[in-house]
Amino acid sequence: MSVLVPLPVAVSLLGAAVSLALHGRVRLQRALGLAVCIVATGTAVALLTIVQREGVVATQAGGWPAPFGITLVVDGFAAIMVTISTLMLLGCLVYAFGQLDAERERLYFHPVYLVLQAGVCLSFLTGDLFNLFVAFEVMLIASYVLLVLGGSQEQVGSGMTYVVINLLASTLFVSGVGLVYAATGSVNMADLVGRLAELPPNLRGGLGLLFLVVFGVKAALFPLFFWLPDSYPAAPTAVAAVFAGLLTKVGVYAVMRTQTLLFPGDGGPSTLILGVAGATMFVGVLGAIAQSDIKRILSFHIISQIGYMIMGLGLYTLAGLAAGIFYIVHHIVVKTALFLVAGLVERAEGTDALGRLGGFARRAPLVGALFMLPALSLAGLPPLSGFVAKLALVREGLALDRVVIVGVGLLVSLFTLFSMTKVWQRVFWGMGPSPEAVPPGARHGQATAPIAGGSRVRPPATMLGATAALVALSLVIAATAGPLYTITERAAADMLDTTDYLRAVLGG
Amino acid sequence: MLLALLALHVAVALAAPTVAGRAGRWVFAFCGLAPAAVVVWASGRAGGILAGRAVEETLRWVPALDLAVTLRVDGFSLLMIALVSGVGVLIFAYSWSYFEPRPDLGRFAAALTGFAGAMLGVVVADNLFVLYVFWELTSITSYLLIGFEDDKEEARGAALQALLVTVAGGLAMLAGFVLIGSAAGTYSLSQVLAEPPTGTAVGIGLLLVLLGAFTKSAQVPFHSWLPGAMVAPTPVSAYLHSATMVKAGVYLVARLAPAFGAVVFWRPLVVGVGVATMLVGGWRALRQFDLKLLLAFGTVSQLGFMMALLGAGTPEATFAGVVLLLAHGAFKCALFLVVGIVDHEAGTRDLRRLSGLRHALPITFAVAVVAGASMAGLPPLLGFVAKELAYDGLLADAHQLGLAPLAGAVAGSVLTFGYTARFLWGGFASPVDVRAGAPPHAHRPSAAFLAPAVTLAAVTVVLGALPGLADGLSAAAATALQEHHEPPHLALWHGVTPALWLSVLTVVAGVALFATRGRVEALQERVGGLPGAQEAYDRAVDGLQRLSEGLTGVVQNGSLPVYLAVILLTAAVLPGGAVLLGGSLASPPPLAESWAQVVVTVGILVASVATVMMRRRFAAVLMLGSVGYGVALLFVLQGAPDLALTQFLIETLSVILFVLVLRHLPDRFSHHRWRLGQALRWVVAVGVGVFMFGFALMAGTARTRQPISRYFLENSLPEAGGHNVVNVILVDFRGLDTLGEITVLVVAALGVASLVRASRRGEPAGP
Repeated sequence: MSVLVPLPVAVSLLGAAVSLALHGRVRLQRALGLAVCIVATGTAVALLTIVQREGVVATQAGGWPAPFGITLVVDGFAAIMVTISTLMLLGCLVYAFGQLDAERERLYFHPVYLVLQAGVCLSFLTGDLFNLFVAFEVMLIASYVLLVLGGSQEQVGSGMTYVVINLLASTLFVSGVGLVYAATGSVNMADLVGRLAELPPNLRGGLGLLFLVVFGVKAALFPLFFWLPDSYPAAPTAVAAVFAGLLTKVGVYAVMRTQTLLFPGDGGPSTLILGVAGATMFVGVLGAIAQSDIKRILSFHIISQIGYMIMGLGLYTLAGLAAGIFYIVHHIVVKTALFLVAGLVERAEGTDALGRLGGFARRAPLVGALFMLPALSLAGLPPLSGFVAKLALVREGLALDRVVIVGVGLLVSLFTLFSMTKVWQRVFWGMGPSPEAVPPGARHGQATAPIAGGSRVRPPATMLGATAALVALSLVIAATAGPLYTITERAAADMLDTTDYLRAVLGG
Repeated sequence: MLLALLALHVAVALAAPTVAGRAGRWVFAFCGLAPAAVVVWASGRAGGILAGRAVEETLRWVPALDLAVTLRVDGFSLLMIALVSGVGVLIFAYSWSYFEPRPDLGRFAAALTGFAGAMLGVVVADNLFVLYVFWELTSITSYLLIGFEDDKEEARGAALQALLVTVAGGLAMLAGFVLIGSAAGTYSLSQVLAEPPTGTAVGIGLLLVLLGAFTKSAQVPFHSWLPGAMVAPTPVSAYLHSATMVKAGVYLVARLAPAFGAVVFWRPLVVGVGVATMLVGGWRALRQFDLKLLLAFGTVSQLGFMMALLGAGTPEATFAGVVLLLAHGAFKCALFLVVGIVDHEAGTRDLRRLSGLRHALPITFAVAVVAGASMAGLPPLLGFVAKELAYDGLLADAHQLGLAPLAGAVAGSVLTFGYTARFLWGGFASPVDVRAGAPPHAHRPSAAFLAPAVTLAAVTVVLGALPGLADGLSAAAATALQEHHEPPHLALWHGVTPALWLSVLTVVAGVALFATRGRVEALQERVGGLPGAQEAYDRAVDGLQRLSEGLTGVVQNGSLPVYLAVILLTAAVLPGGAVLLGGSLASPPPLAESWAQVVVTVGILVASVATVMMRRRFAAVLMLGSVGYGVALLFVLQGAPDLALTQFLIETLSVILFVLVLRHLPDRFSHHRWRLGQALRWVVAVGVGVFMFGFALMAGTARTRQPISRYFLENSLPEAGGHNVVNVILVDFRGLDTLGEITVLVVAALGVASLVRASRRGEPAGP
């Protein structure tokens, strides 16, 4: 079954190449993109089932034996991440059909989108530290191009911050890989487990922290998150939603992977990481409260929510890691959905500034519901997926007597609710925007007649359908949290006990 | 079946908007089916439940987290169901008359049905987490209902306040549940109560749970959200904010009190807060002019009374509390419905403008008198029975509680009498206050509009006159709370007991209070209300907003150099500190192998420093290129001509590209104001340099095992058929990396192409 492992990456790259050849024929590109995303998702689901049945599966690129070639490896954590990511990419692609204007779509959107998918999947699947760097580069360049696609002044400007900071992180990353190779003579992660363990503790600790910083930039941890809220909101919604849902979570994945596999420390809760988690939650949510545009608010919430995932890592127990993974899955779906809703509002009204909106729920009740559910879930209110995730963290945090972080987590949950109700009250409740408040050239507004106070808003079926599907998925996650939690628990068990992972990669 | 009934609420709520689209106001008849079904089911099962056989149902959810939808109906739950679903049916019936046809009735009915389901869940949940789930669902539906008239600023603000206060308490409660449950080893409420855990963690857990209960039941100092919630349509005020939701906290305390009443802080805290709330609420009610606000403060007061009785955890007080729950549900709800009718028919609720409605609305007036008398605790009504029991209970338990709660209860009841009189007099009898303008003209309400209120008034009368009818239910409820106690029978006449004298005292003092209302009002003007509760909320929200803006302004200041500096400093300090402080170099490696290396390295360093010192762009680019060439020279010295060649090519290409770009840029760097001082830049640069240098030194000397490069050297020719190991690594051993890098280049090219195209379209594309 190991033949399936590279498939999500391979099919995406191949698709990207063909899509590039189809430049100018948007319909074919769409069909191809859709097909590729479906195949990737199907493969991911297959991998997830296989891993549940057979444990960790690995394959060696080019047939060169580990640790000399590049290993691709899928364990529970990786399989979960690939599955949820490909699902999101599929949903956002469908949404993009309705959202992107023809010009942008023609400007290489499709091939680059598939390259992004390849990069994301490779990041999850690779078992090689240097290859992880390459995967990050693929992701970075693809995301950068998607970010500036269409090239408005604002996009290029905010893209600048994004690319400069990410390049700095890449520089640190590649330096870290160099240092690891200097110290150990290998870059295969499974091989590194034993080699790193032999290093003096200060060196091992330093390397671990260096990678924490590197991936911390990608994951937008405190105090490394600045780039995120300055760059995401500028992108087209479908793209911003993918970024919001996935990209930082790739960073979180890398943090969790490296900190558990390569730098497990002494195996107990880490006060440093819990501190970072708490600060990330707190500063992030305060940032959100200070904003007054939907996408900027949502962007700051990404940061805040990352804190909860990292809290799971910081607790460093089976239940803690399982809760962290569950949180990631929940968050990816919910956050992507929220961005898509923001896009629906922006499309209809021509703005996402709270001050210029109002009464949207009256004109689009369904969109109101589609916002309300994930918003409450984000704040961790029951009975939604965010509640299950938060409960898991709170339980384990209190079981380990980590009272401070639990308190911060609950407080931030309240603040998140406060911030979400701000959006709800000013966008979905209240009077409709006064006609002069809506800019005359509301970009896509022609078909939807947004201005008249009472008229109903009807977004395109693809956009509404994709959004609704994601919201429905988040409800399914809540309803089937029992079995899902078992899967995350098993993934967490494999992270704590790496025997299976090492055997799959190195044999023996 | 219970699960199905909960699901029915959800299904009905989901269907409500569609139904409302076709059937208009009849949607309330449709939605009323859900609570009606519960009433039918509960009546059918009542026999067994009253006999002490609880009904249980379970649905698995997340076993790993002890999260299971465990439902359990015992006598106390049954009494609560009577309030939740029984009153619920009446509220839906009332809503049918209350609302004019309007397009958004669907979402109102949906939220109201959702609330009915959630509240049902609260009173039947046995799993603590599931109790929390339903608890918060009532907060959310309450938010939607208070904010129903969402174009009013006031409604939105009140909805938000109610939500934030109750959710904040709820979150504390969740943490409390975890602490209590983990100490008990079970998250089943009934099992926790059967064997109550002890310890510090449990004590803290209880405090947190009480925080949830106090906020939900509008206890001092968290009460101010409840009067605010009165902006909601009257059915909501009657249902959520008097009969059911606000009793959730009382309900939970009642459950916990018998098991945890002995915990050292429990009684002083719960009874104290309850009595304080009773007094504050009653006092504030005395100076309201809006009938609805008057009732709201009355509710606060009565909730305090119930909290004190049920929180005391003693058998007699518990029994009194149970009866008061029932009595209050009937009379307060009826009074709210009356206010809704008055508001509807007379167009105002201001008791300075209302007058003589006893003639215009005789039946409404009759209902108000009956319900009011019950609230004031006059015989022969259920409220009187409850109050007598309360006095009795507090007297009997005085050895445990002291006399203060009793004194508080009497004082609170005097206030209750006073504001009831104010309500009836001001609303129906008083001559109009000329300053406020002419009294409005009143219409006669329809029979359907009156029916629910009349029903509730009838319940008050019948159960007051024949309390035996409620005997079974209240006894079963009390037994469910206090297992080993045989509750007394309900009776209107207890004989000439101390409680009766206290009742007489209450009435006399109450009459005096009403008679001197002018002076009382003057006194109130001078004393003012309880300072702080509302202001504290406003300030907290305001402070949070300002803290956020202040902090974010500092953290997220938009300066790229600052961002970079923070990241670099973090990278240098955190790992650098760990490496450099914790270790030592056993045998420092040779720093250089030849003089040539030293010369080249010095050259690189000079060029690096020069790059950042240059004022002209062109010179800086040339210096940067020199750094690259220097590195290439190092490669040559190390004997790696391929690498050196690659590096030379890249550097040359970069310099050429830079020069091409530079044509479009000013000759010199613009003089920015140095946001980050020059010195700090030096610190960052040197710090990162030192860190990398030290780290590399340490890492290079630490290697213990064979590097994998040996394999490449040995297998390059025999396995991969290539003489040039570097090439074989790139295209074969690690071909996947190369594929990735090629992809990066292609995408970068696409990005450039797209930017160029965009700029050709005439849009400025930036640098």
